[in-house]
Amino acid sequence: MKKTLLIFAVLMIFTASIFAQGFKVKASGEQTFNFADNKNQATFFSTTPLEDITGLSNDVKGSVTFNVGDLKTLKGKVIVSVASIKTGIEMRDGHLQSAGWLNAESFPEISFEIKKVSDVKFAADNKLSAKVTGNYTMHGVTKEVTADATLTYLDESEQTKMRAAGDLLGVQAKFNVKLSDYGVNNKLVGQKVSEDIEVNVNIVGSNAK
Amino acid sequence: MNKNQKNVLIIGIILIAITLIYWYSQGAEVFTKTQVLVDKTTELDRMLGVENKQYIDQFVFGLLPSGTSSIIEITSTASIAGVVVLLTGILIYLFRNKRKETK
Repeated sequence: MKKTLLIFAVLMIFTASIFAQGFKVKASGEQTFNFADNKNQATFFSTTPLEDITGLSNDVKGSVTFNVGDLKTLKGKVIVSVASIKTGIEMRDGHLQSAGWLNAESFPEISFEIKKVSDVKFAADNKLSAKVTGNYTMHGVTKEVTADATLTYLDESEQTKMRAAGDLLGVQAKFNVKLSDYGVNNKLVGQKVSEDIEVNVNIVGSNAK
Repeated sequence: MNKNQKNVLIIGIILIAITLIYWYSQGAEVFTKTQVLVDKTTELDRMLGVENKQYIDQFVFGLLPSGTSSIIEITSTASIAGVVVLLTGILIYLFRNKRKETK
C-alpha cells in the first residue's frame, strides 16, 4: 500500500512538473516586475469611413507577479491614463478625453487586472504565449476580456541595463473591445468610429528592487 | 467674361490644381496632421518581443483642416481652395465691365 502511494505521489509530482509551463531562465521562484518606463505603451486602434485612428498612450504603469516556473500563477494589474492618449490631432485628443467620449475627468484610468492564465504555449526558453483573462475597466465599466499575450524574459545583461536594472519582462498583448459594452458613444468629431477597438499593449518591466 | 476675369479664373484654377497636386504628393491624408506615428522599435525591444511606436511632431498637409486653434491646423487643401475661390470671386466681381451712365 505504501509503495502504491509513493508511486502515485511521484507520478503526481512528475505530471505537475510537465504541465507547469514556465520560463527556463536563470531566475527562479516568485518574481515581481514593475512597469514604470515611459517607453511602455498601449494603443487603441480603430477605423472610421475616412481614416484609421491610432490612439497611443505612453503613460502605462503597473506590475505583475508570478512564479518563473509556472506562468499560470501570473497576477497583476496594468493601468493606462486616459489623459495621456494621443491620436495625432489635438482637437481629436480633446474630444476623445471629453465627457462625450472616454470622460478623462470622471474616469481617469483604463485598467486591466489579471484573473487567470490559460493555454500556455512554449515558444522558447525565455518566451511563452498564453491567453490572459482579466477584468478590463474603461469609462467606469468593468468586463471580463481575454487577451492573446506573449511574454519574453531576459536575464540581466549589459544590453538590458541600457533599459533598466534587473531582469526584464517584455509583454505584448492584444484584445478587442466593443465601445457600446462600455457605454461609449462611437461618434468622434462627426465621424463614426468602428464599434470594435483593437487594444494593443507593449510593455517592459523590471524586477529590480 | 472679359479678359481680366478670364485671367483671374485661370490663375484660380491653376492654384487649386497645384494645391491638390501638393496634397497628393504629401500622402493624400484626409485630415491635416501635426503629429505622425513612427516606428522606434530597437534591437532590445525586438529581443523583448515588443514594438515601440511613437508620435513625433511633423506637419502633414491634409485635404481637410484638423482644428481651428492654430494656423497649422487650419492649413489644408480645402481651406486654401476656399480662400482661392473667395478671392477669385471678389476679383471677377471687381473686374466686371462697368456700364457707362447715360444722362
